Amino acid sequence: MNKEIKFESPTFFKRIKGMLGVDFYRLFHTPMFYIFLAVAAIIPAMILGMTNMETAEGVTKLYTNTWQIVAANEPLYVVNSIAEYANMNMVFIFGGIMVSIFIGHDYKSGYVKQLFTTHAKKQDYMISKSLVGAFSMACMCITYLIGGVLAGALTQASFAVNAGSLIIALLSKIVLSLGWASLYTFLNVIFRKFFGISIASSFFFGTGILIIGAAAIVGNSSILNIFLYGSSVYACLSSNILTLVVCVIVSVVWAIIYNVLGTLLLTKSDVY
Amino acid sequence: MNAIEIKNLTKNFGEKQALGGLNMTVPVGSIYGFIGENGSGKSTTEKIICGLMHANGGEIKLFDRPLSDPDVRAKVGVLIESPGCFPNISVWNNLMLQAANLSIENPEQEVAKVLKMVRMEGSASNKYKNCSLGMKQRIGIAMALLGNPVLLVLDEPINGLDADGMRIMREVLVDITKTYSCTVLVSSHILGELEKIATHYGIIRGGKMIKEMTAAELEANCPTYVALKAKDMEKTKKLLERKFDRVVEENEYIRVYDAEKPEQIVKYLFDNKITVSEIKTDKINLEEYYINLMDNKEVK
Repeated sequence: MNKEIKFESPTFFKRIKGMLGVDFYRLFHTPMFYIFLAVAAIIPAMILGMTNMETAEGVTKLYTNTWQIVAANEPLYVVNSIAEYANMNMVFIFGGIMVSIFIGHDYKSGYVKQLFTTHAKKQDYMISKSLVGAFSMACMCITYLIGGVLAGALTQASFAVNAGSLIIALLSKIVLSLGWASLYTFLNVIFRKFFGISIASSFFFGTGILIIGAAAIVGNSSILNIFLYGSSVYACLSSNILTLVVCVIVSVVWAIIYNVLGTLLLTKSDVY
Repeated sequence: MNAIEIKNLTKNFGEKQALGGLNMTVPVGSIYGFIGENGSGKSTTEKIICGLMHANGGEIKLFDRPLSDPDVRAKVGVLIESPGCFPNISVWNNLMLQAANLSIENPEQEVAKVLKMVRMEGSASNKYKNCSLGMKQRIGIAMALLGNPVLLVLDEPINGLDADGMRIMREVLVDITKTYSCTVLVSSHILGELEKIATHYGIIRGGKMIKEMTAAELEANCPTYVALKAKDMEKTKKLLERKFDRVVEENEYIRVYDAEKPEQIVKYLFDNKITVSEIKTDKINLEEYYINLMDNKEVK
């Protein structure tokens, strides 16, 4: 009998295609995904609507332009007002929570156990989760944009903007989803046995508090652009093509770093 | 060639040693019953074989290939504790997802085949969360069967099942070995069920293999005996001890191990004016053999 046994495992592309198929199926069948898409649309609408309403005499409106809910006018790492902070970068906080829930469910349901008893490799898992997480965050960026634009129209806020810079800022933030998703996947692999800590750590890093803290020391230095949050701030309404290049490089490099670290961690430690 | 060959396997959890130099040989084509107390190291061994845990030392070969070989891993089906399924989707879709993870060509055909194999073809559209425990375990086996495995590792697949569930599971396991020509490593505490299907046994204690044997060897190691009841058990036992070498009182019966025929004992007792109220011939089963082994043999 043993002479007839043919040992063969699928190629990397076949494996990743299969795993991505499963993860996308799960994403589209997870109510949480649609809830987060709705939240991403409601948040900018709420912020813009509430802060652009009739204000008391002498009180300046937080946003003078609809597009400020998408990105700040200038790359300001030091937060002086909530308007400079509250923009599309918030999607990366929701996205972190979404990725935590998604990966947490992998462990809770036993899916990971089922997966790693097959030929599936740890790197496949990291790549697949990062890509699906990036896709979900990119979708959130789009619903965030739609929510912001609708609220801007309803509150009759200004839409004047340099269209090129706006498009570059939007693209840059969408591209950065990959780096952010890889970070969250890595964090969730570290804290895979502690769901609460996974969510808390994703929230902590997503707020960019470390970069804001660093900016308080080094000032508005462009060196902060090498970090994910720094690049996310750099993608602003005064962006140019260099911004997009920086964001692509930062996102891809951090995605590779987090994927390699996550793969190493999963390979060296027990799955269950 | 053996399906599994383990040499000197060790695994520690911090200070606690779970496996202390385990050796194990599972021949190709066998149904290997893996037996041991709770905490003896069965599940740890199985998780290491399946790649869910790392060993601290030792060597594992599957079909003469190292455990890390992805080609051989692609041919191992696993059910550890319970299947990793998504509760809110159907049985069919759960299996289709696993088929996608395994990059199986013609997944619909494969899924239909394994569902039929585990007698679940009528429940494919049920949501996983609405399935009974027995059904869930069979779904787990169906998942393990996807990809035409040559080795199945099943950890306690019959635990918690009712009599009918156990019977179906037993039939399924026997069918699998016939249809797939698959080697099966199955651990269980329900030794009566295991005895009905296993061709080989491995008994583990304290992280070490204390006995490996074939079903034929077990048969040879399990003697037949005559069990009887009489009015005065104490007097009867003393009388029997005069004539037979091995007489023990167990489970409300007097067992005579070296009697050739029950008639021989009945005649002897009748001659000594003792009336036998009940008499039968029986055989030591796997459970008793295991208990005796555990009671008598200490791991050194």
